Amino acid sequence: MIRLIRSEILKIRTTNTWWIFALASVLTTGLTLAVNCAQAHYYLNEKLNLPSDLPADQAEQARQQFAAQHQVVTQSVNVFTSGQFFGCLFVALLGILLITNEYYHQTATATFLATPHRSRIVTAKLITGIAYAAVFWLLTTVIDLVTGVIFFRVEGFANHLGDWDVSRAVLLNLMAFAIWAVFGVGFGALIRSQIGATITVTVLYVVGMLAAQIVFAVLHQFIKKDWVLTLQVVVPSTASQIMLSPVKLFPQSPPQWVGAIVLIGYGILAGLIGTLILRKRDVS
Amino acid sequence: MSDGRIVVSGLTKQYKNVRAVDDLSFTVEPGRVTGFLGPNGAGKTTTLRMVLNLVTPTAGTATIGGQRYADLPDPLRTVGAILEASAAHKGRTGRNHLRVICAAAGLPDQRADEVLELVGLTPAAKRKFKGFSLGMRQRLGIAAAMLGDPKVLILDEPANGLDPEGIRWMRGFLRNLASEGRTVLVSSHLLSEMELLADDVVIIAAGRLVRQGPVAEVVGSMSTNARVRVRTPQAELLTKELTQAGATVATGTDGALLVTGVEAPAIGAAALRVSAELHELVTERPDLEHVFLELTQGKATIR
Ligand SMILES: Nc1ncnc2c1ncn2[C@@H]1O[C@H](COP(=O)(O)OP(=O)(O)OP(=O)(O)O)[C@@H](O)[C@H]1O
Ligand SMILES: [Mg+2]
Repeated sequence: MIRLIRSEILKIRTTNTWWIFALASVLTTGLTLAVNCAQAHYYLNEKLNLPSDLPADQAEQARQQFAAQHQVVTQSVNVFTSGQFFGCLFVALLGILLITNEYYHQTATATFLATPHRSRIVTAKLITGIAYAAVFWLLTTVIDLVTGVIFFRVEGFANHLGDWDVSRAVLLNLMAFAIWAVFGVGFGALIRSQIGATITVTVLYVVGMLAAQIVFAVLHQFIKKDWVLTLQVVVPSTASQIMLSPVKLFPQSPPQWVGAIVLIGYGILAGLIGTLILRKRDVS
Repeated sequence: MSDGRIVVSGLTKQYKNVRAVDDLSFTVEPGRVTGFLGPNGAGKTTTLRMVLNLVTPTAGTATIGGQRYADLPDPLRTVGAILEASAAHKGRTGRNHLRVICAAAGLPDQRADEVLELVGLTPAAKRKFKGFSLGMRQRLGIAAAMLGDPKVLILDEPANGLDPEGIRWMRGFLRNLASEGRTVLVSSHLLSEMELLADDVVIIAAGRLVRQGPVAEVVGSMSTNARVRVRTPQAELLTKELTQAGATVATGTDGALLVTGVEAPAIGAAALRVSAELHELVTERPDLEHVFLELTQGKATIR
């Protein structure tokens, strides 16, 4: 297995793919970091302006809501997980390439000749994908940490890095990266065409959450129950966001761990389906 | 039992509309070059891919040295293969392509350089695959097949894209491997090349076995059809004499006599008897190409 993982890592290292993706994640991390810092700056310095004629109980409610939104912790999580949205997408695409490259460049023959046990190859690819995900996570997280610590010091707020809420989010972020890599590999096996798989996953990833919001909102019109909206967690990109967000993503959203379980479930499913497909498929 | 004999038995592959390979059985002996012949679409590539566990058979088995390919503990050290529609990543160098395979097979990196030397690709080792010519790609394929110094070689049209010098090199290379006791199974369309190269042939058509055996035997089995070309100014005289001797004589388009039923010495003797002057006396034995075309006639349609 070590042999196969070495081989898979070599495959990525000996092409342009890895540095193109690394560059793209650094750039997008920088971009989202700038946006998140600007947002944090705005929220953290905003003062609550309540109309003086507001009844006491309503004023109290508004104050609480404001406090939750403007918590330093919330902003801290945001800043320290910057780049997650695009990072996960890139890692998923890398996972796709791990499989589809074999067909696109007709190297599947050489790969399967060296290792006739195809489930081992998929396992090696999954592990390699996860390893690269970890590297990408480390890259974005280091950038986030350095920038974030400086940002909070300049702003004069505690950075809350020691808080469990924040460290948990940073660690869960690693898990999100890993699972999206597994997704990528599974999807690559499912849709063998390089372009097909890449476009499908990108579209699902980028518009998936939005589309889900619309679909479930419409469903909610017919079944006027809150659990209908809670069900949005079945959409992978939504589950990913729910898992990371220490505050509720939307009023009916389930707790973080539900998002985590859904995402892990999908990861396992994608890995299994990918393995089964690859074992059956003829290479000709 | 690792003698490197390839045994194909009852191998069948049914695609949606075609039975690409149909209950095919044959054996390939070590220490010999075996030519695997058949018209386009006969099922050669499909058969070889089934032997190598790349395509799942509908029925039947194929073993190499008594084991299925998937059960070989170290497949690349036992079997080397070159197949159609097999390539390298376009952005990867030739040497790195081989190193990726080395890593997967647990072979040392230096094997990559050794096989590059072996096929004469050392100057292009650091060039990206997209810059390789057809012949260079084929040589890289051979290099990859030789990485594990295998006992068995399976090659699907390895001469594709090679120049005459390359083809001659390949012939010597494969003959040499066989003389070292290795098993060499090679498919090809180049029948004259095969006649020079192969010891045995397996001929298939429409997915079925047509004939198997040593080249000389397969060609010999058809030599009842050997005929002799005779050119003489006294054609009428000689024709009469030969017909009396029991031969069948036809006249070719160029005026030469095409004689079947008697051998060249008898024709010479007959000419001497009637004092006919001979300008040409050639026995035309059917070659592999003739035999192949005859054997696969009518079955050679693309399915
Ligand atoms: N993946 C596939 N799906 C459907 N049919 C296939 C597939 N692969 C091969 N065939 C069919 O199986 C038959 C045998 O094909 P194969 O490639 O084995 O022939 P071949 O002897 O290698 O021919 P050639 O000399 O042209 O290389 C052909 O009719 C082909 O169309
Ligand atoms: Mg073929």
